[in-house]
Amino acid sequence: MTHQAQPTALSYREALFKAMHDAMALPNTLVFGQGVNDHKGIFGTTTGLGEKFGKNRMIEVPLAEEGVTGICIGAALNGAYPINIHIRADFVLLAMNQIINLAAKYKYMFGGLFDVPMLVRLVIGRSWGQGAQHSQSLQSLFAHIPGLRVIMPASSGAIVDSYAHAVQHHRGPVISLEHRLMYDLTFERDHEPTVLGKTPFSQRRVRKGNDVTVVSTSIMSLEARRAADWLADRGVSCDVIDLHCVSHIDANVIMESVGRTGRLLVADTSWQPYGVGAEICRIVCERDPGALKAPVVTLGMAAAPCPTAKSLEDIYYPNLTTLTDSIAKLVRGKADHGIELPHERSMADVYKRFKGPF
Amino acid sequence: MTRRCEETIVRIYPDDEMKTPMHMSMGQEAVAVGVCRALGNNGDVVASYRSHATYLAQTEDHGSFFGELHGRVNGTADGKSGSMHLADIPKGMLGSTGIVAAGIPVAVGAAFANKQNSPGRIAAAFFGDGATDEGVFWESLNVSCAMGLPMMFVCEDNDLAVHTRKSHRQGFNSLVEVVKKYRCSVYEDDTNDVESIYAMTRSAIAQIIAMGTPAFLNVKTYRYLEPCGTTMDSDAPYRRAEEDAYWKGRDCVALQRARLLANGLAEKDVVAVENEINAAILASVAAAKAAAHPTPQQLYYGVFYEAP
Ligand SMILES: Cc1ncc(C[n+]2csc(CCOP(=O)(O)OP(=O)(O)O)c2C)c(N)n1
Repeated sequence: MTHQAQPTALSYREALFKAMHDAMALPNTLVFGQGVNDHKGIFGTTTGLGEKFGKNRMIEVPLAEEGVTGICIGAALNGAYPINIHIRADFVLLAMNQIINLAAKYKYMFGGLFDVPMLVRLVIGRSWGQGAQHSQSLQSLFAHIPGLRVIMPASSGAIVDSYAHAVQHHRGPVISLEHRLMYDLTFERDHEPTVLGKTPFSQRRVRKGNDVTVVSTSIMSLEARRAADWLADRGVSCDVIDLHCVSHIDANVIMESVGRTGRLLVADTSWQPYGVGAEICRIVCERDPGALKAPVVTLGMAAAPCPTAKSLEDIYYPNLTTLTDSIAKLVRGKADHGIELPHERSMADVYKRFKGPF
Repeated sequence: MTRRCEETIVRIYPDDEMKTPMHMSMGQEAVAVGVCRALGNNGDVVASYRSHATYLAQTEDHGSFFGELHGRVNGTADGKSGSMHLADIPKGMLGSTGIVAAGIPVAVGAAFANKQNSPGRIAAAFFGDGATDEGVFWESLNVSCAMGLPMMFVCEDNDLAVHTRKSHRQGFNSLVEVVKKYRCSVYEDDTNDVESIYAMTRSAIAQIIAMGTPAFLNVKTYRYLEPCGTTMDSDAPYRRAEEDAYWKGRDCVALQRARLLANGLAEKDVVAVENEINAAILASVAAAKAAAHPTPQQLYYGVFYEAP
């Protein structure tokens, strides 16, 4: 048995590059996207792969989101594994017809005749003046649709393992929402969350605790970890679950945790109405609402399009302070919980070596 | 004025007070200025995210321009839009959008309404050659030609979509030849000369009004700066040295300045006007920096059309 040395730490960007490289090393993979072969290579995640594997498989496409998505579906029907990349999740809205009316239903509608194995990579462009049309976090839209598998990788390990699983084992369409603010963060392999299930699409435990269950997505899982670390030093123990796959949630994982803690906070990257928080509440309420000792708390973006002005953007997104405060209130059961809060206005300031525009 | 505004942006952007992506018009200004001047007060305009020149040509208002780029309440949208969504209803600037080609059918809708309500008023959509890859461009062209709308399509053809050339993206050799098959009049210009573009647009307007059919203007031009951002990327692999030199050798602002001098204007008079413009721009920047940030209450205002 040969053993390939794995690096002990990878940035999110490096993980994406590795995932794309490993996918291209398989003969049936095709990558479609605007800018995949230019010198910026989708933020460095496809750079040089066209040269290495051929530009007939790393395919620079016209601006034709709906058409290209349909082309991916057709190629998938005929034995290819297409990966379609959009540098902003917002641009995939032009392709919703193909994704929802075709890709998601192709197998079922034809009585199981077809598989549509494909991966759609979407980048959430939060912060730094990205504004209303370059920053949306659209997971609930996709997760609502039967037939789609929607993931939000929150670490380098989650990228590498999930993309390998998608390409090699999963036979249906996978929508992955990557977070732009994480691209430059480095994740150590030894600190990866624990996978709570059989496949890399399963939920993950970021931190074990008994006072409160924090269910989070994408970059909010990083925030939840920071909040939990802070609170652990102040006598509050958080059970943090990174949802990872928002379309397929293992109810047992949620119920086991809520059963122990009796308190639930959901921190999502998107709007709350009809969102991840609502879905987690459905899971709990349908199974054992009595497990809750206090009303559920959810956090997300303000229910408005994203404003560009920094002064508004800073209050548009929940930050470490609001998250920590919300957890403390929930656990202590009162607003004046007496727990010191970390002082941080804007998460973007912390995570960002990234400073606009792209 | 447009050029000076953008030169100012290039200078002060690194101060990081304008926290918004910048899609710069520099090099391409003749298109917006020529077309918007020709429309005068009798046109509605929808622009792409590369909206600076179009906005400034249509409104001549660098005060709210810089206010918006600084995210302040004296901007076009109280700081909510940043550089990608500039608008001004009284001046006929019906918006600019960050989604490629998305504004084109909106302009068609404006043309439709004008046909009913404001005979003689024209709607113009500005977009890049990349936008013509998109299905919605063709749908919009088809609808306007089928319905005979007072609509002007203005393609700012810089050959590039981000870093990718037309030849790589389009399965035909000449957009103009394809569009000629539609029931609309087609115009072309590759002079980078604002007066030539102005004259062409005047003819197009006359034809739209006389024939009741749309016009399509394909104007060749050149983007000086990176696709998004304020630096020159002449060394990037997608650039071609000869092309760069060719277009910078016929810079639209330099062309017009030379013409003014050749027409007998004194150098000192031109300089005086330039100084006046520069001073006014600096005043706008100062006013923007002095203006208030939007209040937290502003966050939810306008979401569902509620009263202020
Ligand atoms: C629907 C959509 N797809 C992709 C993008 C990303 N994008 C932004 S600008 C651009 C190139 C557009 O080129 P063109 O229309 O020629 O305009 P130019 O930038 O040259 O002015 C692309 C692909 C987008 N904003 N919207």
